[in-house]
Amino acid sequence: MTPQILAIVMAVVLLVAVIVLLRSYVLPEKYAVLWLIAAVAAIVLSAWPGLLEGVSRFFGIASAINLLFVGAFFVMFLLLMQITLELARTRDELRRAVQRLALDIEKATPNDND
Amino acid sequence: MRVLVAVPALNEAAAIGQVLSSLAAVHPIGDVVIVDDGSRDNTAAIARAAGAHVVSHAINLGVGAAMGTAFKYAVRNGYDAVIQFDGDGQHRTEHIGELIAALDGADIVIGSRFAVGGTYKSSAARRSVQRLIAGVTSLFARTRLTDATSGFRIAGPRALAVFAEHYPVEWLGDTVESIVLATRQNLTVREIPVDMNERAGGVPSQSVFKATLYTARIMFILGLATIRTVPPQVRSANRRQKAEAAA
Repeated sequence: MTPQILAIVMAVVLLVAVIVLLRSYVLPEKYAVLWLIAAVAAIVLSAWPGLLEGVSRFFGIASAINLLFVGAFFVMFLLLMQITLELARTRDELRRAVQRLALDIEKATPNDND
Repeated sequence: MRVLVAVPALNEAAAIGQVLSSLAAVHPIGDVVIVDDGSRDNTAAIARAAGAHVVSHAINLGVGAAMGTAFKYAVRNGYDAVIQFDGDGQHRTEHIGELIAALDGADIVIGSRFAVGGTYKSSAARRSVQRLIAGVTSLFARTRLTDATSGFRIAGPRALAVFAEHYPVEWLGDTVESIVLATRQNLTVREIPVDMNERAGGVPSQSVFKATLYTARIMFILGLATIRTVPPQVRSANRRQKAEAAA
């Protein structure tokens, strides 16, 4: 098996995995978009190495493999940033919800003074 | 048949009083529930003062989650059908009776702005977007629809049973995906023509870019809805039902 075939197979497996997770309600839609784009890009790039060569030459990059690493790093960065921001937002919402519920419970629970 | 009118509301203090008084004229106010989706204003207080039931989310979860809560509320309180009615004054109460009547022979009835007999005015751009969305939804749901994004709809007992277990939340799933989800569970979806009041803010077709993004999102959701499996909560509810029937 050539490296190229291996790369294509892995990219297809990634795409199938994302689709399976998406359709069974495990992976929410808004995260799936980036993953789908990454998976499709991986298939296209590994199936068509000429594309990578062409784009590298256009940018004046000597080694196409460098462009691949930079591109992959950028995609990973986007994915991680999306998760980080979402996590931060969720923690913030959780805190506000807990605060609000705590106040409602206090109002609803009689203490010994009442 | 006990019908619940559910009003998902987010910061509708200005309109909710008016909405509730017009509802009270056609439907018992004790069968109206406001789902306050994390409002920062006093929407909930106004609604309570008007005599409606109020369920408040501690934070904003979105219309899909608000209707999900409404469906769960309906099942808990023994209702047979749920009507979704907007809290911003867009929907007209005169159609409530028509929706209930149309439930005879369908599981879900949608009040369509664009069916024959409607007089809803909107820009040509918005109409073509809506037509495209309705067309694709009709294709995937295998049923003739002209308005797939209308929130003015009634869910009958069979639909209520499914939606109380799982109602799509994100990305406009509550309007479009719910239709496909329903038809894949072998529920029937019908339409009746309705009039609606003009929307002040406007649907996300304000710029070409936003409209394209909106349409792309809907297409994605629709395509996804067709390959989706049965939602896990619905599957276990069905299993439980079968076990009870067998026992």
